[in-house]
Amino acid sequence: MRLPYEASLVKTVWLASYPKSGNTWARMLLANLRAVDAPVDINNLPLRGGMSSARAAFDFATFLDSGLLSHEEIDRLRPAALAHIASYDDDALLDARDGEAGDGNAIRYGKSHDAYTLNDRGTAVMGGAAAASAAVLIVRDPRDVAPSLAHHNGSDIDTAIAFMNDPAAAFCGHRDRQPNQLRQMLPGWSGFNASWLDQTDIPLHLLRYEDMRRDPPSALTGLLAFAGQSEDAETIARAARFADFEQLREQEQASGFREGPRGNFFRRGIAGGWRDELTAAQARSIEATHGAMMDRLGYAPDSV
Amino acid sequence: MFSYRICGIDAHSDIHLPGVDEPALPDATAQPVTIRRGVVPGAIAGAIAHGPNWHIAASECLIEVPDVARFHLSDGARITYAVACEAALADVPIFLLGTVFGMLLHQRERLVLHASAVAVDGPDGPRAVLFAGVSGAGKSTLAAALGARGFALVGDDMCALSLRPGASPLVHPDGRQLKLWHEAVIRLDLGERRQERVRPVLEKFYVAPSGAMTAPLPLGAIYVLREARTGMEPGIARANIVDAALLLRRNAYRPQMVRRLGQNASYFHAAAAIAGHAGIYTFTRKLGFKRMGAALDQLQEHWAQIGLAPAL
Repeated sequence: MRLPYEASLVKTVWLASYPKSGNTWARMLLANLRAVDAPVDINNLPLRGGMSSARAAFDFATFLDSGLLSHEEIDRLRPAALAHIASYDDDALLDARDGEAGDGNAIRYGKSHDAYTLNDRGTAVMGGAAAASAAVLIVRDPRDVAPSLAHHNGSDIDTAIAFMNDPAAAFCGHRDRQPNQLRQMLPGWSGFNASWLDQTDIPLHLLRYEDMRRDPPSALTGLLAFAGQSEDAETIARAARFADFEQLREQEQASGFREGPRGNFFRRGIAGGWRDELTAAQARSIEATHGAMMDRLGYAPDSV
Repeated sequence: MFSYRICGIDAHSDIHLPGVDEPALPDATAQPVTIRRGVVPGAIAGAIAHGPNWHIAASECLIEVPDVARFHLSDGARITYAVACEAALADVPIFLLGTVFGMLLHQRERLVLHASAVAVDGPDGPRAVLFAGVSGAGKSTLAAALGARGFALVGDDMCALSLRPGASPLVHPDGRQLKLWHEAVIRLDLGERRQERVRPVLEKFYVAPSGAMTAPLPLGAIYVLREARTGMEPGIARANIVDAALLLRRNAYRPQMVRRLGQNASYFHAAAAIAGHAGIYTFTRKLGFKRMGAALDQLQEHWAQIGLAPAL
């Protein structure tokens, strides 16, 4: 007979990002740290820490059917639920995630597209320091996010830009059916990044997509140093090779990618691609709305 | 007092439980349960585990649905509920019938799965076919769609099993109506059967099944529902005994409670007993209402293969 789940001392670190900002790519880099002979299968690389908005893990933790709760009620319970999940040993994590195994890293990296917002009781939905010891915020030039988001959602670029400007936007916010994940607040591109940059609950490491693209080993080295995971340079270099964008795209073309619902998930992966994808008016509109946050993150109005 | 037959247990309740049939059978042999409004303690002595909104002791549990109600369960026989100050009483029954009753069954050390079920003809009479899976896997929708093809409902969300030596386990009907989201009611053309909302705040409704079983029936098969995503082979596959044991445990109604109460071993033993008389399968398919007809065809073909129902 097994003992009940033991409390875990493994660190959880969020990989937080606005959608289409390189979160999956960062995840691929981390998963490939544990690959020796060949790149990990892009269709089989769940993070050890799961996803913050996972419905099954919430239900497992609270004994409730999240499908019987309103978004607001769920948000009131999420802080304690995420803290509870962070305390699980690996057996409990496996059960909570229907048997999906982790990536083998010493730290539980958890993916999140949740803005760092407060629920209607004034508590951080993400659970603060009780649910994770730190966060990596991955950011990308909003002019590159817009066409990528449009492609991902199967919408036109203006619709994507409007979504990025909407302070009330969310993923999985339907009320007439059960979305596959819990609601994730996405209060605009600026609002999302501000929410993480301005929170003071947990230490934050800022990782720019453009820097990850330019020099993946350096970006990965910086992330690992921040998170407190020790890896040698050779391992990091190999992971970067295995998670090279072209390599990922080849894998997707050969066997598809389960997280890419519409066509190619790994589309262009370039910095500054907006120059031939956005009209001048679209670029100006994004710069006008998000200028302050772009400036804060080092994206000049005419930069690459 | 209202009386109901839920998962083979007679429940005597001071609150009306919508979507449950009143018992039409003689008294069940199982110990009845009482459901009463009253004082719910803030803590329990000797708790062996705590969660975000629950405490478990050997024979007592506390569970809270924030801003709706708090529940106390003792000895698998008594449920006491306290309604939160601003909450509507109409919000309480769905949690009593779901989480709280399921926890009570776990407290009684019953084998209880997070599954819907329908009745399928077998060589020796009707058998229960179960569809297990996480919330959103499509359990209720599948049972509803099978209802339109004439398969009577056995359970919507929770199935209690009784093991029998030398025979397939018995599945006890949960005695409830289906619970479906507005979208599913429309897509499955069940508007005429739609009843009240399961909660005033939700676009989810009770839906009267076209036919329902009231007496327990032997288990025919268990399908664990999986979404077919890229890189996954769609179809129906029989689980080997090791996988079957894991699947059964992870599809317990509240697997963490099973683990915390030290009942994992009984689920492993049950898997072996079930495998001898009825298969445990994974059913991996693409989700979506457009694909529902194909999924039902696939199931019916499989039933013909395993000797359950006549072929299409």
